[in-house]
Amino acid sequence: MLAGIDYFIVIAYIIGMLLLGLYFKKYVNSSEDYFLGGKSLPFWAIGMSIVVSDIGALDFVGVSGQAYRYGVSVGNFDWVGSVPAMLLAAFIFIPYFWRGGMYTIPEYLGRRYNQKVRTIASVTWILFFALDLGVLFWASAVLLNVLMGWPIWISIISTAGVVGLYTYFGGITAVIMTDVVQFIIMFIGGFALVFLSLYEVGGWDNMVEKISTMGPEYRNHFDIIQPQDTKSPFPWTGILFGLTFVMANAYMIGNQSIVQRCLTAKNEWHAKASMIFGSALKMFIPILVLFPGLMAVVVHPGLLDGDQALPMMIKSILPPGLVGLMFAAFFAGLMSSVDSLLNSTATLFTKDIYEPFIKKGADDKHYLKVGQITTLVLLVVGVATSPISSDFPGIYVAIQTFMSYFQGPIFAILLLGIFWRRTTEWGGLSALVIGIGFAIYLNVFKEQFFTIEDPFLYISWWSFLLSFIINMTVSLLTKKHSDEQLQGLVFSSKILVKNKTV
Amino acid sequence: MFNFDWLSGVSQETAKMIFLSLYGLIGVLVLLLPTEYVYEGIAKEDRHWYNNLKLWSICVLAILASIYYSF
Repeated sequence: MLAGIDYFIVIAYIIGMLLLGLYFKKYVNSSEDYFLGGKSLPFWAIGMSIVVSDIGALDFVGVSGQAYRYGVSVGNFDWVGSVPAMLLAAFIFIPYFWRGGMYTIPEYLGRRYNQKVRTIASVTWILFFALDLGVLFWASAVLLNVLMGWPIWISIISTAGVVGLYTYFGGITAVIMTDVVQFIIMFIGGFALVFLSLYEVGGWDNMVEKISTMGPEYRNHFDIIQPQDTKSPFPWTGILFGLTFVMANAYMIGNQSIVQRCLTAKNEWHAKASMIFGSALKMFIPILVLFPGLMAVVVHPGLLDGDQALPMMIKSILPPGLVGLMFAAFFAGLMSSVDSLLNSTATLFTKDIYEPFIKKGADDKHYLKVGQITTLVLLVVGVATSPISSDFPGIYVAIQTFMSYFQGPIFAILLLGIFWRRTTEWGGLSALVIGIGFAIYLNVFKEQFFTIEDPFLYISWWSFLLSFIINMTVSLLTKKHSDEQLQGLVFSSKILVKNKTV
Repeated sequence: MFNFDWLSGVSQETAKMIFLSLYGLIGVLVLLLPTEYVYEGIAKEDRHWYNNLKLWSICVLAILASIYYSF
């Protein structure tokens, strides 16, 4: 439980976030302001927002738990996964999306392929985000319940109230600017825990020495490269093919809640710089989430559930005041994930479903209102579905796993869509549908195909590869798109030297 | 095949070199980008060396490669 000073920090944080978010209400006068921040935001704010949205509180706990069980190889997710993908996004994909004035990734897919591809991609994202929302509300409520003693429903409604209010009124500008504060709090809280934990274990060298002598199961704990035949989910082959080549790219290039932030940049340089700045900040994430998990091996050896590593470290290492700050950091991660989901889902629904299918050609104020109402509806859906998490404790992992199966096919059609002029609408559609089906098939029968514990990295690679091949084959068998249809949608070396050609 | 058994002969040291080479390859590709392109969005008279996104990228890659090498 928290001490008096901790309560003060947490409550001050929640009220501060609400007031800061509401301040940005005055900047929202159009749908572009609501969904794209009026294309006025600086790179540093967007970069921080990308990082804090990416690493939510549940990941904080989960990654520390994985570091406790599997060691430093978990760091691959940021050190080799995210950074190359963010550079690819910054220099190739983001400029296309930004120059094209796009609001959503499915919008690009719709222009490049057809409306069906756009709708499938959009509906999948909306379903995923809406389900995730309920899970995150429940996780926030459990945190508030355990640490503040608030009843679960009061906790859910207060989280939804605070985040919902500033997202409803302030749109993505409020989301990004509150993320900046959330990022700073998360880093201060996280580094405080790392430094105090290092002191507790007697420094890095001492920790390595102690863990190395703890038995054969810790033999590979400090090997960032795990052998191909490891039983852990992170063999180097999975990291290279599944993570570096597919999942990280799909996440940084194809995830609406990440890319939408870059589209709010004030100009193309800021759009590119936001991703590169974000990649620099991402280097620190393994230090924040992985190191406490490693140090818990020394401080709390023999935990049956690795996910207990971080909470145990917070409880045993941090003094009053810093516990409140760390809790605020957790809550910051959750709030940041919730506000991102709300705004991105509202954008997807308004732009990809409502505008093309329900009411075309309405005035801009109408779409602004639809975006705001969608945010409210999502809040209600999120609150109503949140108890599902208590009935199905593994639902968060299940949702993330489901999403990982969508990543391979979506990245295959994005990659070919932008780099290969010959790709056709039927190639893209068949690759998306068959690729997702294949990923589900591999998941259902994973015991028959894979030898590692959780083969999501391998599944994303093989579904990507199949989608890639199907897209190429079907495209070659169907009628190619005209040059006019492809104008501004396909990569050309001219983009590098002549801006106006795209 | 699905488990990449055909790569079981590759040692962890070689695998690490593959990842480090990947950093190098990305660095080379970044350096090949025209300077004009990385400054796009900033008026010509306001361009400074610290706005050069190639420099940013190379710094990030160099730091990361060092961290990776040390593990």
